[in-house]
Amino acid sequence: MAVAVDAPPRNPEAEPRAPSATEGSGRRTRLIGLGLLGLLALLPIPFGDFGFFAGQYALVYAMLGLSVTVVTGYAGLISLMPYSFAGIGAMITGLAMASWGWPFWLAILLGALATIPFSVLVGVASIRLKGLYLAIATLTMANALGETFFQWGDVTGGNTGWLISRPRVGPIDFASDRMFYGLCLAVVLLLLWMVEGLRTSRTGRAMLAVRDNELEAQALGINVYKTKLVALVIGGMIAAIGGGFLAALLLNPTPSAFRPPFAEVTSILLITLVSIGGIDRALGAFFGAIALVIQQQVFQGAEFFFAFFGIYTGFTVILFLMFRPGGLIQIGKLQLALIRERPVLGIAVTVAIVGLNVGIAWLVLSLS
Amino acid sequence: MSKRFGGIAALDGVDLQVQPGEIVGLLGPNGAGKSTLFNVICGYLKPDGGGISLDGEDVGHLLPYERVAAGLGRTFQHVRLFRNLTVYENLVVAQHRHLSGGSFSAMLRLPAWRRDERRARERVEAMLDVVNLRPWRDRYPTQLSYGTLRFLELASVLSLEPRVLLLDEPASGIAQKEVEALGPLLTRVRDEQGCALVLIEHDMRLLLSVSERVYALDFGAVIAEGTPDEVVSNDRVLESYLGRTRRAG
Repeated sequence: MAVAVDAPPRNPEAEPRAPSATEGSGRRTRLIGLGLLGLLALLPIPFGDFGFFAGQYALVYAMLGLSVTVVTGYAGLISLMPYSFAGIGAMITGLAMASWGWPFWLAILLGALATIPFSVLVGVASIRLKGLYLAIATLTMANALGETFFQWGDVTGGNTGWLISRPRVGPIDFASDRMFYGLCLAVVLLLLWMVEGLRTSRTGRAMLAVRDNELEAQALGINVYKTKLVALVIGGMIAAIGGGFLAALLLNPTPSAFRPPFAEVTSILLITLVSIGGIDRALGAFFGAIALVIQQQVFQGAEFFFAFFGIYTGFTVILFLMFRPGGLIQIGKLQLALIRERPVLGIAVTVAIVGLNVGIAWLVLSLS
Repeated sequence: MSKRFGGIAALDGVDLQVQPGEIVGLLGPNGAGKSTLFNVICGYLKPDGGGISLDGEDVGHLLPYERVAAGLGRTFQHVRLFRNLTVYENLVVAQHRHLSGGSFSAMLRLPAWRRDERRARERVEAMLDVVNLRPWRDRYPTQLSYGTLRFLELASVLSLEPRVLLLDEPASGIAQKEVEALGPLLTRVRDEQGCALVLIEHDMRLLLSVSERVYALDFGAVIAEGTPDEVVSNDRVLESYLGRTRRAG
């Protein structure tokens, strides 16, 4: 992302400031990001009931994506277990609500706490294993969980799963898709705010340092293993919270969705969507989830092209990793910089990019 | 202190003593064991014999990051930095041991987090002036010259406020002008922070001008110790390091 410059410029003040990684963006960029977020949150309205139905999925994916942001984006650990952790959250939430009659919020808290021992297990593996090897180890663990935890009838309610209802807070009932969408939006915003706050903190910076250079992090007095463990525990809990909301969204969470190969495939999908959105910023999970669900709906509408959905997302993520590793957030920042420098050109290019995407979606839909 | 790699004794009974606030130089040819000694002192390698104590306190059993908390700081022969973080952010990461906030207080923006961040900001801003890195505050390491990176690495390790600072060839690969700035900076750091410095350096002028005492190493053993003048006039040092043969007769 950074451009290599051989000699430092004489007057660095005159140079544009590079976007800073831990400090957070400037006030204006942040406002624009929040504005875009608000706009996207209103996106379901023109589509009516269907919009809110799909929107709920996008928001739950955003919650699950935020766990990838912490574990993979911040701490650089490639874990293929986020959806398994979501499954633990979903099943425990279902168990506590359906068999013990617990309220939704307490059940979801228990689900989040239940992931801690599993996160510790991954943490122990991450002491010795890095990169691809850790990915393979977590893949195996996801498989093992699918064959053990998600086969455990007492916890998962057997193959039929649990029947639960959506939460109710005082007089407000979140049973309808519209209300539940609103609830999910509030929770996503809260989690987003928390994950972004983590980034500018002692622990969050230690995670970024460990991702960048473990040896140097150690030389600066950072406990590398503890840092990884904290990232895994926080990520696991966020995934479980997302899983709890997934359970309430589905109303009937079943364990089969968290057995191989669905658990692994969905985990990879989560990593994909976060990479497309922007893996090391909290907003990336939100943008990525919305982009993914829109694509999913477009492809699903275009029956003939639906078979190509996997190929399409695969290509997209490769292109992003090659040319825009910062994801949609990076594209957004580049567009903003262009607009600031050459407003007419910048706005024209931005409109063209958005128009092109909408046009392709329209073409695909009308062709089938 | 001893360290063996297979059958080769990389360090053979080296005894290094550093007084508080002292600047000690280490010299010796390549492969003499200087960097190995640093790695053993900092806990990256396990010694086969001997121990390390800091102010009379045994630190030999501690892990590298724990030795940092005990007051040992080091730089590496090849600059190690966080390449995806700006100069400012690199220095904020280095404040780790001076901050105390947990992840929970940060996620909820509690006052403890606010205090932590203010403290980190103030300390980094002050450090930027000590090492003259302010013009590059928001640059990424890939945008800087190697010499500037050396100063950034030095600033990072100084932020730890170590009691003993080990510097592995701080002047290698940097411009002559920067080498000349390094000597006075090291002396100033010692005077202001009161930490002891141990310096591995092949730039003899720098090493001899800042060091108060010099150890010469060869084949993993100390072959001479004393003031800079004494050591450079020592016959064995001349032979092994400076490459002069002993005068006949």
